[in-house]
Amino acid sequence: MVDNSPYFEEEQLDRSYDLRLLQWLYPLTKPYRLLLSCSIVLVIVITVFDLALPYITKIAIDRYIVPKMETTVVSAGTAGDGETRYLKVDMTEDLNGDIVRRYSRLFTYDGSYALIRFDDLSNLDKKDILVLRRGDLAGVTVITLLFLALIGANFVFNFGQVMIMEYTGQMIMHDLRIRLFDHIQGMAVAFFTRNPVGRLVTRVTNDTQNMNELVTSVIAFIFKDVFLLAGITVVLIIINWQLTAITFAILPLVVYAAIHFAVKARDIYRTLRVKIADINTRFSETIGGITVIQLFRQEEENYHRFEELNHEYYQAGMRQIHVYAVFMPIIELLGAAATALVIFYGGGRVLGQTISLGALVAFIAYMRMFFRPLRDIAEKYNITQNALASAERIYQIINNKEREPRAVDEPGLPEKIDDIVMDNVSFSYVTGETVLANVSLHIHQGETVAFVGPTGSGKTTLINLLTRFYEPQSGRILVNGQDIRTVDIAGLRSKIALVTQDPFLFSGTIRDNIVNGSNHISDADLDRIISASNCRSLIDKLPKGVDTELAEGGASVSSGERQLISIARAFARDPDLILLDEATSYIDSETEQKVQAALAKLMSNRTSIIVAHRLSTARTADRIFVLNRHRIIESGTHRELMEQKGFYFRLHQLQQ
Amino acid sequence: MKSLQLIKPYLLENRGVILSGILCLTIVDILQLFIPRIIKWAVDDLTTLHIDVTGLLGYASYIISIAVAMALFRYVWRRCLIGTSRRVEEGLRNQLFRHIQTLSAPYFDRVKTGELMAHATNDIQHVRMASGMGMVALTDAVVLGVAAIGFMAYINTTLTLFVLIPMPLIVFSTRFFTRKMHRLYQDVQASFAGMTEVVREAIAGIRTIKAYTREQNETARLESASRDYVNRNLGLVRITGSFFPMMMLFSNISLAIILYLGGRQTITATISTGDFVAFISYLGILTWPMMAMGWVVNLIQRGTASLDRINRILETRREIDDPPGVLVQDSAGGDLDFHDVSFSYDPASPPVLDGITLSIKQGETLGIVGPPGSGKTALLRLIPRVYDVSGGMILLGGVDIRRMNLRDLRSRIAFVPQEPFLFAGSIRDNITFGNSDITDEELNRAINDAQISETVASFPHGTETIVGEKGVILSGGQKQRIALARAIVQQKPLIIFDDPVSQVDSETGGALIRSMKSLEGSPTTIIVSHRLSAVQTADMIIVLDGGHIVESGTHETLMKTGGYYARTFRLQALEEYPHGR
Repeated sequence: MVDNSPYFEEEQLDRSYDLRLLQWLYPLTKPYRLLLSCSIVLVIVITVFDLALPYITKIAIDRYIVPKMETTVVSAGTAGDGETRYLKVDMTEDLNGDIVRRYSRLFTYDGSYALIRFDDLSNLDKKDILVLRRGDLAGVTVITLLFLALIGANFVFNFGQVMIMEYTGQMIMHDLRIRLFDHIQGMAVAFFTRNPVGRLVTRVTNDTQNMNELVTSVIAFIFKDVFLLAGITVVLIIINWQLTAITFAILPLVVYAAIHFAVKARDIYRTLRVKIADINTRFSETIGGITVIQLFRQEEENYHRFEELNHEYYQAGMRQIHVYAVFMPIIELLGAAATALVIFYGGGRVLGQTISLGALVAFIAYMRMFFRPLRDIAEKYNITQNALASAERIYQIINNKEREPRAVDEPGLPEKIDDIVMDNVSFSYVTGETVLANVSLHIHQGETVAFVGPTGSGKTTLINLLTRFYEPQSGRILVNGQDIRTVDIAGLRSKIALVTQDPFLFSGTIRDNIVNGSNHISDADLDRIISASNCRSLIDKLPKGVDTELAEGGASVSSGERQLISIARAFARDPDLILLDEATSYIDSETEQKVQAALAKLMSNRTSIIVAHRLSTARTADRIFVLNRHRIIESGTHRELMEQKGFYFRLHQLQQ
Repeated sequence: MKSLQLIKPYLLENRGVILSGILCLTIVDILQLFIPRIIKWAVDDLTTLHIDVTGLLGYASYIISIAVAMALFRYVWRRCLIGTSRRVEEGLRNQLFRHIQTLSAPYFDRVKTGELMAHATNDIQHVRMASGMGMVALTDAVVLGVAAIGFMAYINTTLTLFVLIPMPLIVFSTRFFTRKMHRLYQDVQASFAGMTEVVREAIAGIRTIKAYTREQNETARLESASRDYVNRNLGLVRITGSFFPMMMLFSNISLAIILYLGGRQTITATISTGDFVAFISYLGILTWPMMAMGWVVNLIQRGTASLDRINRILETRREIDDPPGVLVQDSAGGDLDFHDVSFSYDPASPPVLDGITLSIKQGETLGIVGPPGSGKTALLRLIPRVYDVSGGMILLGGVDIRRMNLRDLRSRIAFVPQEPFLFAGSIRDNITFGNSDITDEELNRAINDAQISETVASFPHGTETIVGEKGVILSGGQKQRIALARAIVQQKPLIIFDDPVSQVDSETGGALIRSMKSLEGSPTTIIVSHRLSAVQTADMIIVLDGGHIVESGTHETLMKTGGYYARTFRLQALEEYPHGR
């Protein structure tokens, strides 16, 4: 695409944005801080539980299943193999005594205790072992019950945490969505000419959804993962700090890999987001122009353009896969390396009897747990990036200063619109391309005024300025002597009804479209409005009449009928000023005459401004302003202008 | 399940890649199982203290070498399997796009743009996730699960059976939950699509909203749509949020069983300590497939729900299509006949056109006038089969147009719709549609004929000016004339203008009418216009009212009849031709 217009292309943002983004995001959580804190507390509890589970296993092994080395005592009576494990049996208990005596050659004695090598236990009858180790068995039972209680509680907490987090995330995003939408609606009209609909829709729906993931999965997981990492580290240090120090030697490599990965993944995520927004735009455009595409048999060409775009998206996706395919295995590899280190050094320690076997097993288990959250964080980084990229785009819009001016302190227009003055107004949409130059005019209450002139002479622009869709670069527009810039914009617009050439009808019934949300219109009023705007015949032929649902964009009624409905909508508004911008272009002269007659009746006390290409439309106006080359060159009634034999006269002549 | 046929071709096409991916994944999974084995040996040796430092170093280096091999295979399966899912995504989206383009106008009257857009992005992404990570996790779960169970059974069969006690629970609850999830996902997606549509409509109609200070209404509409979406999500999370922890619970129950029974067996010296530890490790491996089952099921549910929705679109037959059987090839002439044609957009409503019979000879001009809603545009749309007649028939060169190849039919017609639609590209692209057969000379002639040359010349980039979405930088009249140039440049034997001068001033309109009359190759021309000067010289003029032809004839005969045409003509002549003719 040639970059030659002020129209679109999304810019990439630099990294300094992140901090500002967080600053902006943080206040959004305000109403939900309590819930968020709840959720975080739950996360901590869950993490502690998660950490406790392997520890319980360790206790079970060390205390009951393979009792610790300390209970083994080197006895003088044996062959001097000081590195053998023994089971210590209390001889003061009768049950034990019987069994020990039966296998006496396997036991050595130490005061009131008897010792037996673990290796020799298998020579005993199973029933006898059960008796000898009934204490350990009871311990295992208790531990198992504790374990069950913990996992039960863990389930409940997990569920609670997910629910709270989802609720919080969804509500924050709901708030953000509404705020963003509100903000977009408040943007100046110029903003919408530069931003395609598809893009803005993506911002309000998909992007807020992405940010929701930031809250629900990322915040929850990051907290969980960070707590888990911290917890594991603490446990590891408690088990054995030397071993911890040695295995952590691998960490710098992990951090390096993670950062490298983060940088790459981030750029790719941005590309993916921009491309998907483009895909959305293309879909929307294609659907909107489908008839033209089909009639001109452009399906193939359009498809190829789409295919290209889609392929770019695919390629970005493949780059992303590559980055992940390198990073993920590397983290796993480093994890395995850590395990190897533990086996090598830890095993040595077990041999040197500075670590218990249970401790080593637990250490291995924790070490393997340690790498999962690390990988998780990196994996979640992708969602985070996605979310931050979305947040950035949203922020860009929210931060866009192109807003329509908000309500000012001025009380607005308390009374009816009496007169309108344009004082030396100049305007251009694009700097350097003048559309209006020093236009001055005065319209009185009750007048019907028409703007005529060649295409591009600035007629519609005058309307755009009156409704404050745009602001003039110089000069003033006064309503009742008050500069409209000092008037509340909504207050001004509420006194105006605008009917455009391509009226936009909303999905909903015809009634909804006409009454437009105001409920003080009675059925009788509505009936009168329908007749006046010549909508009667079109409504009568619809099976459900005025309660017929209009399809998207009002496709089920013709262009002319849509203009009639929009005229009815303008009548229903009961405005002081009615602006008809080519409002009858799709309507035949006869119907137009009827509408104008009705208009004249309805508007008898009010002001109307008509922009028309068809001179017949303008003829009945009280005054006609002729625009040419950005200026008003003639004005007067039809008769006066014809007599002047100027530009207006020539416009008529030229027809022949 | 039928919708799975949709992604089958992609899977078949990439079967080599997928198989190598699965192979690598399986290798990784199996290698992964060796690590607990090595740990077990090391622990066993340490329990009985039958090992020295060299032995430990040996074990450590086994682990490292296995890990390196795993890393390599992991890279390969990621590229192969996840890569394929991207391929599926791309293909599906292309397919959807291509299909949507073939659907006919009645479909778009029913379906909302925002919803279609949601299918193109969200749904397809879900399918990708399901066919990528979903498949990987499934393979992973099956391979790891089977292998871990195998190893465990090898160590101790009874204990293994005990460990598997929660399995039926997992299967049962998965079935129960997934059924719910499927429906809930559909709800969430539907709600999302609905919300998208609310936003789209508001942004598309922003000027009207502003002019009618409807902002608050729109916000309220979004508010309720968004709230619905929030509630649907919460409903879904109630299920997913209990599902995952439940899977974890079940796998932890297995661990508790091992702890209790395995612990007892170790105490009674039925199994070695090393076996016990290895058992716990294997269970750790088994935990992942058990949990993954939940996740996989979730992903796949969501994916198939989305796939169903996409499939529904793809299965939509276009209502207007080539007829079955032998098509009439090139029909002889360009004569156009309407034979008792009736039409309604919707069978429930009264006809828009009724009993229309007329005929135009090749090279002639037909003018159509009439009040709004009289059926003018509908009549025009029937000719290139944007819609099909409800009764009667339309003949082109003596052949029913429904018996002709649709592309052939349309290739003979140039159509200028009432409301021009421009694409976001350049002016040139909008006129030529990138057709390189159109020379600059032809382009310029079309631009001249359409009376838009001055405007184009005033842009710094001329015909290369980007017009923006729907031609936002242009005025209505400018858009209309570009659409005219688009039709003129095609040089088709039949050209249809729907109100071509409605948005331009009289002077330009007059010039346009003159160029329409002197088109190259003197095509058959049909013009609808409210400006009678555009139809005045037509060979035949018809007046439509309420779907019927109420007057027909030439300008002269109609003026004599003194009906609608004559009245309108006088009304316009009064002002536009102040000195008569």
